[in-house]
Amino acid sequence: MQTIEDRSNRLSVTRAGGQLITNYWDDLFTAREQGKQIVWYNGGALNPIFQAAGLAWCHGEAFAARLAAQQLEGPAQLAGAEYGYNAELCSYSRTHLGCSVLTLQGTDGSQNGVVGLNDQKELAARLPAPDFFVNNYAGCSTGQQWDGISYRVFGKQLPIFNISHPFLWGNKPDSGYLTGAEWEDASRFVAEQLRELISFIEAQTGRPFDYDALSESMTYIKRAAELRREGLDLCKAKPAPATFWDWIACVAPINFLPGDQALVDYFGSVRDEIKGRLDAGISGVKDEKYRLYFDGIMNWNKLGFLSRKFAEHGAAVLCGRYIHNAFWQEPHLIDTEDPLLGMAQHYLLCPTNHGTKTLDYLTLRDCEEYDVDGIVFHSTRTCRAFTGPQRLLARSAQQKLGIPSIFFEGDVADASFYKDEILESRLVAMLETIDVQRERGGRLAGART
Amino acid sequence: MPDATAALARLSEVARDPRRYVDQWRVDHPGQKVVGVLPMNFPREIAHAAGTLPVVVQDDQIPVTEGRSLLAEFYCGYTRNLADQAATGRFDSYDAIFMADHCIQLIGAADVVRALLPDTPVFFGMLNSSMNDSWAPRRVAEMMAEFRTEFASFTGHQVGEADLRTSIEAHNRDRRLLRSLFDERSTGSTAFTPGQLQDLVTSSMVMDPVEHHALLRDAASAAPAAPRDDRVRVHLSGHLCHAPKRELLEAIEDSGAIVVDDDLFHGRRYVSTDVDETGDPLDALARWYSQRNVTIPCPTRVQQDADWDVYLVDAVRRSGAEAVIHLLPKFCEPHMLYYPELRKGLEAAGIPQLQLETEHEGMPLESFRTRIEALVERTLRKRPVPA
Repeated sequence: MQTIEDRSNRLSVTRAGGQLITNYWDDLFTAREQGKQIVWYNGGALNPIFQAAGLAWCHGEAFAARLAAQQLEGPAQLAGAEYGYNAELCSYSRTHLGCSVLTLQGTDGSQNGVVGLNDQKELAARLPAPDFFVNNYAGCSTGQQWDGISYRVFGKQLPIFNISHPFLWGNKPDSGYLTGAEWEDASRFVAEQLRELISFIEAQTGRPFDYDALSESMTYIKRAAELRREGLDLCKAKPAPATFWDWIACVAPINFLPGDQALVDYFGSVRDEIKGRLDAGISGVKDEKYRLYFDGIMNWNKLGFLSRKFAEHGAAVLCGRYIHNAFWQEPHLIDTEDPLLGMAQHYLLCPTNHGTKTLDYLTLRDCEEYDVDGIVFHSTRTCRAFTGPQRLLARSAQQKLGIPSIFFEGDVADASFYKDEILESRLVAMLETIDVQRERGGRLAGART
Repeated sequence: MPDATAALARLSEVARDPRRYVDQWRVDHPGQKVVGVLPMNFPREIAHAAGTLPVVVQDDQIPVTEGRSLLAEFYCGYTRNLADQAATGRFDSYDAIFMADHCIQLIGAADVVRALLPDTPVFFGMLNSSMNDSWAPRRVAEMMAEFRTEFASFTGHQVGEADLRTSIEAHNRDRRLLRSLFDERSTGSTAFTPGQLQDLVTSSMVMDPVEHHALLRDAASAAPAAPRDDRVRVHLSGHLCHAPKRELLEAIEDSGAIVVDDDLFHGRRYVSTDVDETGDPLDALARWYSQRNVTIPCPTRVQQDADWDVYLVDAVRRSGAEAVIHLLPKFCEPHMLYYPELRKGLEAAGIPQLQLETEHEGMPLESFRTRIEALVERTLRKRPVPA
């Protein structure tokens, strides 16, 4: 049997991030014993507000992603299926709703039909039940409905607060990325709702909200986000010192860990390791030959596998919508003295909350800045929000920049949709196309030849 | 004496071929515009008051070809069909597209229209879909005003309050008459088959409401008295945005069931609620949007104090339905999310149910028939046995 060389060279510092994440979840699992109130939320990163309010917080997608990354999503999904959720439903939501079912049943539930998976089931059911819900979903319409259903699964007994986000469609002539009347109006509207949220939280906790603590938390987060952007920019180098997969491993810290010095230190370490690699001439993929863009939410079951697969072909995946256009990606918008407007704007900047006109601008911009040879679209089976514009983006990249692309099917938290042979054959075909383009001295079509 | 047969035939003709109606309307109304309206909550009244013909864009049953390269195959059939219509010239009927619903799949289809037809304005004004938000009434009222402004810009003239009132009255009149037919069905009349009722509703989504009402009145006035027979009485539930295939409706009634009520979008849901004819018309439209989710709750909205499951059980009690058939368009996420709540509610009430998942292309009719027959058998066994 042939042994395939692992040509990926992942950042070592992300292991420290993994420990931070483990500590966070362990802390959450014991939050009830610590006497904390627990909020379940979905969508944009409200954790600085929860942190300032002294709450424990659980991000639904994050927990589903964690289960999937650890290959432990099965029991929750089975429980969800038995409850009635269709396999074509967003796998984040049905994993999380399955957790709700298991949490309500307790770990000794015998009516769920899930057999022989007790240990995994226990982890899925370890999620402490919420005291209340907050929904902060932009872009995908399913997000808001998901928490509406969680509220029902818990018997309509718990308080729920919803933040509504206008979709940034771009109706007006002045509409654009971070500009125009539509953007300004939406920003103010969401910021107003955040103030209402704070009143709601005060009512739940019985304590006045600590705005100073919010400013402090957002100061750390802004600094961490700046360091993250610095690190991302360093990856434009050839060969790239780190890849998209390293940044995927950094999603959890920037998305829901507490805003504190440890977070800043972590992203400082990430930036420094990348800088050190640049200085030493170390690349994220051995003998980088191709530079690729990845569009789609991560297939969390396949992080290590995909990083090795692309590296095996000398393909450095460098950038992607999920990394570059998400997660406090515009830190200059945050005024740490009065952070609510900047926070609202980041929630609106969810990468599924833009019409294709804006996504087209962002995608082509990043493809050019990272000098990308091709695009890999993760046709994320149960995520209609991310996949909606992909075909249009592929056409645009081909027509305007001459960049070829491929699609492969997978899913965020359901491994059953992943088809390895399809990705392998299409990836090889695209890389050969890129080789042909190079032999001919440029791209086959488009403006950037 | 009105010719009921001819009126019904005309309404069915429009329902089954909206483009032909639009083409003729253009000939009859030179210089006036036709707008495509995407379901389910855009206020058709504003577009009509602006002097345009608002047409709720229908799933046109044609197999998706070029649309396959524009939207993923796991988008719902209706949105893939919309993309295909745009890619193959079938959106040429419309001078602009308007939508108000935050459904990510519908947005995907609208984005395809915008990309492929750059000269056709595609306006999306998002109506707040979380109905309990304290700011929802204000935001919805503001959006109704924005719709009016957009139409003024699009047509080049203001949309007057009197025109709005006239349009609201015309739509209410048509809705009331349609609703009376559903009420008659739920209390025992089978004058119209499910397919005919669907045609009556679909044609109302396409035609000028005044013209539609005149034909509908003729069709309804001469409808013969037709009491229910002894078939198993079923309620059809779901199928948002687009109509279920007529063959499926026929198969249900051929399998020993009779449809006595529904909450389909191309059914009672579409005509469930009138607009208040007093006060400011834009405020009235905003209240209408809010009220229709109370009249028949919709899974695309989030509202903690409006329960589709509770509505469904109550509706079954009112009509005397003995079973429910859920018609779930494949990949419709709001419906998939809400379905377990419906299942639980009906189970608790002891009401037999069946879920049928529908697709744009193809339909396993014989498989459906077997399952419907099984539901019928199961329901019959619950009937009291005569002493």
